[in-house]
Amino acid sequence: MVDEPDAHGGVDARHLESCADCKARYTTVSGDARAISSLLTAPELKVDIASAFNRVRTAPAARPRFGLRLPMMRPGSRPLVLAFATAVAAIALVATAIAQDSNTFTPQTLTPVPVTLADMESLSQLSAYGTISWTKQPQPQVVTSAAEANTISGLPVPKVAALPTGVSSTVTYAAMGQATAVFTFSKDKAAAAAAQAGTTLPALPSGLEGAQLTVTVGPAVAEIYGNITKPSSGSDITQASLPQLIVGETTAPVATSSQVTVVQFENSLLALPGISPELKAAIKAIGDPSTTLPVPIPVQFGTSSSVTIQGTIQGLALGDNTGVGAGVIWIKNGVVYGVVGTIKRDDAVNVANQLT
Amino acid sequence: MELGARRVTTERTDDGSFEALFTAEYARVAGIANRVLMDQHEAEDVAQEVFIDFHRLHSASAQYAPAWLHRAAAHAALNRLRGSKRRQRREVAQATQESDRTVDPQKLFEVSEDRRQVRQALARMAPKPAAVLVLRASGLSYAEVAQALGVGIGQVGTLLRRAEAALRKEVTSGTSL
Repeated sequence: MVDEPDAHGGVDARHLESCADCKARYTTVSGDARAISSLLTAPELKVDIASAFNRVRTAPAARPRFGLRLPMMRPGSRPLVLAFATAVAAIALVATAIAQDSNTFTPQTLTPVPVTLADMESLSQLSAYGTISWTKQPQPQVVTSAAEANTISGLPVPKVAALPTGVSSTVTYAAMGQATAVFTFSKDKAAAAAAQAGTTLPALPSGLEGAQLTVTVGPAVAEIYGNITKPSSGSDITQASLPQLIVGETTAPVATSSQVTVVQFENSLLALPGISPELKAAIKAIGDPSTTLPVPIPVQFGTSSSVTIQGTIQGLALGDNTGVGAGVIWIKNGVVYGVVGTIKRDDAVNVANQLT
Repeated sequence: MELGARRVTTERTDDGSFEALFTAEYARVAGIANRVLMDQHEAEDVAQEVFIDFHRLHSASAQYAPAWLHRAAAHAALNRLRGSKRRQRREVAQATQESDRTVDPQKLFEVSEDRRQVRQALARMAPKPAAVLVLRASGLSYAEVAQALGVGIGQVGTLLRRAEAALRKEVTSGTSL
């Protein structure tokens, strides 16, 4: 009633006239409102919209990379974000690099693959060996309500039953529809890249030249608790406010190939100059690759272990109980779920167990 | 050829929508940031970053565009307020500006000190109540505040009252209120 003119009438107003308690509260509230209004006054702003628009229009535009990234975050600048991106959504590239016998790959279970940031960088630099194009651009959007996130992604937004202690209830939603990337291998480009690295290309399967690897990722939806904001200046991550908890859900990525099988593609890609022997060995160590989704875990993120989620589902727990960072990932009915944040591992498991 | 023509048309349409959105909302978005930062240059800096972020990730014709911009402006400005070095510089600049404008040094000092304290208190508050105060003080209606923060319109009044009480309690002891 203090600052809403429409409320100054009817039953409430009559009650206020006759109730001493309410009158006293009204006086306090209106006093607060007046005081704060006075303190928050600011000099009038005179803006030149045309020149401001010119500045914004000429600002360098960011282009989507081959790999997903969360909005409002700088890839590579934040280990936690990178961990999330690799663990939940940006698994497309490594997912394609799995040995299997057919031309189609849809994962059902998870296997941890420790990687270094340099390994991941080398995977994202496939453009040196062919052409990468998006037939459906990833369009991640940040929205303010679960309903909007649902509309964009078509996925039900997971509900967190109880937040771990210390996690802000301020929530932002990120959502995107399906995105499809096509990588077309070029022997000439690969040879040039190899020459630049001072080596030659290994023997390649016939048919690899011009072969296409199609990766479909998403749709995806994420709830982000805490504030995600860019550093106020530069890329100093100590100035950034990192999200405390991210609960994500994405349809498992699907990879198909033409001319050669995905396993041949995978072997050829792994044999290219720049891929570390560690990553190659880790991927080759996967037991049953036809149904396994490897989750690349940056080595900085610590340990990983098996965990049972919601009583029956085999999942993967990352990190430890120090609170520095932990997460849980699992697959249920072809959908990959992830709970990752600056929380303890046990808290992440609790959130996962109670997710509806 | 036809595909290319269609793409160009789509891009133009989106650019046109973005310019319309910018024209309609820029002053308000900068105003929200200015309410927090009390510095035109910094406020416009924040507003332009917010629009760039929005344009990078969203369609300008999205229904939620104004709400997104308002919320982002409040949070970005509050976040910037928390940067201690910038805050110190701003306070020095602010004090100088105020002393240029006022004829009563004592009164001016009080006003300046109150504003400094209220902004320090804002920076210490939880993001949501701080944003409620800033958005409402910037002239947004209850419905607009509700949309920006993703809460029901019925909650805005309560959120606002609590935030006002919390902020006043935080600053009253040290201000001339």
